[in-house]
Amino acid sequence: MQKNNPDAIVIGAGIVGACSALSLTNAGLKVMIIDRGSVASGTTGAGEGNILVSDKDPGPELTLALKSRDLWFELQEDVGDSFELEAKGGVVVARHDSSALMKLAEHQRAAGVTAERVNSAELHKLEPYLHPDLSEGVFYPQDAQCQPMLAAARIIQTVLARGGQLVSQARVTGFEISENSIKGVVTSRGTFHAPLVVNASGTWAGEIAALAGSQLPIAPRKGFILVTEPAPQYIFHKVYDSDYVANVASSDADLQTSTVVEGTRSGTILIGASRERIGFDGSMNYEIVRKLAAQATSLFPVLRDVQLLRVYRGFRPYAPDHLPVIGEDSLISGLWHSAGHEGAGIGLAPGSAALITDAILGRVSFMDAQAFSPQRFAGAL
Amino acid sequence: MIAIIGAGPAGLAAARAIALAGISVTVIDAAQKPGGQYWRHRSTVDGYKATRSEKYFSTVMGNPLVTYINGAQVWSATRSEKSIHINYLQSGVEKILACTDLILTTGAYDRSLPFTGWDKPGSMTPGAAQALLKGHGVIAGKSIVISGTGPFLLPVAVGLAAGGAKVEGVFEANSPLRWLRSPLALLLNPEKALELLYYLKQFRRYSIPVRFGKAVTEFTGHSVRISDVNSDLTIKKANVQEIECNGIAAGWGFVPDITLGGILGCNQVVDKDGTVIFSTDHQQRSSVSNIWIAGEATGIGGSDLALAEGHIAGLSVIGKRIPISLLFSRFRKELFARALQVSYPVNPGWKKWLNRETLICRCEEVTCGQILDSVEELKAEDARTSKLFTRAGMGLCQGRICSRNVAEVIGASKEVSVTDSERIAYSNRPIAAPISLGTLGDGISSK
Repeated sequence: MQKNNPDAIVIGAGIVGACSALSLTNAGLKVMIIDRGSVASGTTGAGEGNILVSDKDPGPELTLALKSRDLWFELQEDVGDSFELEAKGGVVVARHDSSALMKLAEHQRAAGVTAERVNSAELHKLEPYLHPDLSEGVFYPQDAQCQPMLAAARIIQTVLARGGQLVSQARVTGFEISENSIKGVVTSRGTFHAPLVVNASGTWAGEIAALAGSQLPIAPRKGFILVTEPAPQYIFHKVYDSDYVANVASSDADLQTSTVVEGTRSGTILIGASRERIGFDGSMNYEIVRKLAAQATSLFPVLRDVQLLRVYRGFRPYAPDHLPVIGEDSLISGLWHSAGHEGAGIGLAPGSAALITDAILGRVSFMDAQAFSPQRFAGAL
Repeated sequence: MIAIIGAGPAGLAAARAIALAGISVTVIDAAQKPGGQYWRHRSTVDGYKATRSEKYFSTVMGNPLVTYINGAQVWSATRSEKSIHINYLQSGVEKILACTDLILTTGAYDRSLPFTGWDKPGSMTPGAAQALLKGHGVIAGKSIVISGTGPFLLPVAVGLAAGGAKVEGVFEANSPLRWLRSPLALLLNPEKALELLYYLKQFRRYSIPVRFGKAVTEFTGHSVRISDVNSDLTIKKANVQEIECNGIAAGWGFVPDITLGGILGCNQVVDKDGTVIFSTDHQQRSSVSNIWIAGEATGIGGSDLALAEGHIAGLSVIGKRIPISLLFSRFRKELFARALQVSYPVNPGWKKWLNRETLICRCEEVTCGQILDSVEELKAEDARTSKLFTRAGMGLCQGRICSRNVAEVIGASKEVSVTDSERIAYSNRPIAAPISLGTLGDGISSK
């Protein structure tokens, strides 16, 4: 392929890759994006577009999430209002004992999150169709949402308009490395040279690291999302069960389901989310689908008569400690990773891109990224 | 226990073979009465030798060996080593049918091509027109134009005319001379000549004009515009004729319904005409042990072939020898089915009829221009990605009607052919029929 050598190659045209590419482009680098498929063909194309601060415990991930959430709205200015970004707010409902949820909210408030405790009347004013027995919750006005596939596509379109390149259907098969420094990426569509490579390949990030002779413990965690027929507006925010927070943080390999229910602009209702660690097994599990339906209708009885139209599956890339991996490889210089965002990749993408761009350029960033460093796994495998 | 999903010609032939051997069988079908899309229980009104369906209806209706579950929407199925569970809805209640052996005869539905005005009221498929007629008898007094390709246009035209509609004309896109390419198929299926004569007579009786090498390329709501088309379906001469009418029935062959077999993991292949079908062995066995597949889901071939395949599948399930005569009968009908593909191809030139405003996905109202923009601007490279960007295929029909057209429009714009894996991907879906969240959730406690 006759193309000018870029300054940096980003592997992965999902949301993390797209944001990284735009951030590097805006810093003045010439960027090439490579993907095994096309735009948003992995985890980004199978998610709801969550930009959440409500589901995170205080700590580095929450700091990243808060900054990243604000960056989404800056990104909208840069790219244009073209990916349905909306600060719709989240409502977390305490199903049984509310003490754990209230304690979490208190800690989150201390960390800068707007988390308003709501009583029964306020809760039912926010969500009139909620089951009448549910009487307590927390409202998170900062929680937002976008259409993630459109977001990735629009961001990549902007990168291309600013001189970037996209090479699709190119599977990475190896790297050109000399003296532990990255020189280029070997793909099924040819070899591309650059002194900088960002591995933003999501669930495949571990395999990509292995091709470079390094290691990254990233594995897939499977999830299902239910999509209904278009319905009248029954749901006004992202509404979820307080169990969701516990499940997101869990390392249990077994199935976990806890409901996240939300409406979309097209009128369809999305119901997530299950989490299973069973590798890249794409098979259908109707018991999970039933469980998600039962949980959603117990939150919103009005949904009992709404028809399920389809179910889609996806794999979230996760690291053993549930924190993303953002930083330079522990063995290969010039190889940077931004992966393992699990179910929070949409929300965390712009912040992760800012961190990695700052680190590459040696700039001071908005937070200390030590907690996300790939070094934390060095020698741990 | 043996179960059959589908009570069309293939399913009924299988049930009949099993019941005649003195073995019990359960037939499950979405309609209230047996017959499938093609027979629809009514045997009068139209069609050559239509009365032969009577003997199949009587085998399943009122036979103590046949349990007939009607009005049942199968929404999913699961299998384990020993059994297959079919989850279905009947009058809003979810039920489960367990069986050890399963014959899938899930049939096919019309293939639609988009054209200007195909979304207007009065535009339908020949199958829908036939369903209206046979199910409800409501066509009388309308004036209708029939367009598309394939022999199915003939019984539909005759049925509509006999039902009291004014059929203004049948516009077959392909030339009848294409039949000369399949002399052996014609030689081995001489009875087809009689069928053709029957229809010619009916066409004369109802004064239905038939024109070849023409297609309806626009429907205004009260008239159709007809264009001359080349054999590759590009337009030779646009808008050569305009006919006043209230309805247009346009059909371009059929799409096999492969959803349930896909859910159960039966191996699929792409047929020569681009449709996704199941691969089966000479006894109609699928790649999954204890699942047999017969009829249109193994390749579009019409009711004669479906009857032979269903008969073979029924005998195979109960371990009976399959007579050579039956195998030969299937062979010659397969040859005829191949000849149909050669004689009535849907060549790629139809994409040239489209303009940017033509709707491709009617459910979500996505235009051809939006699909092309998703490729050009957003870098979509396949139907799945374009769907995520434009919502084409996300509506009530779940892409059953448009996903193939979306894939082919994208393929044409990128000058590549649609890959087999993409064809298989857009043809499959994990939920075979809509189910309410309440019913779905309740299923856990009842099990």
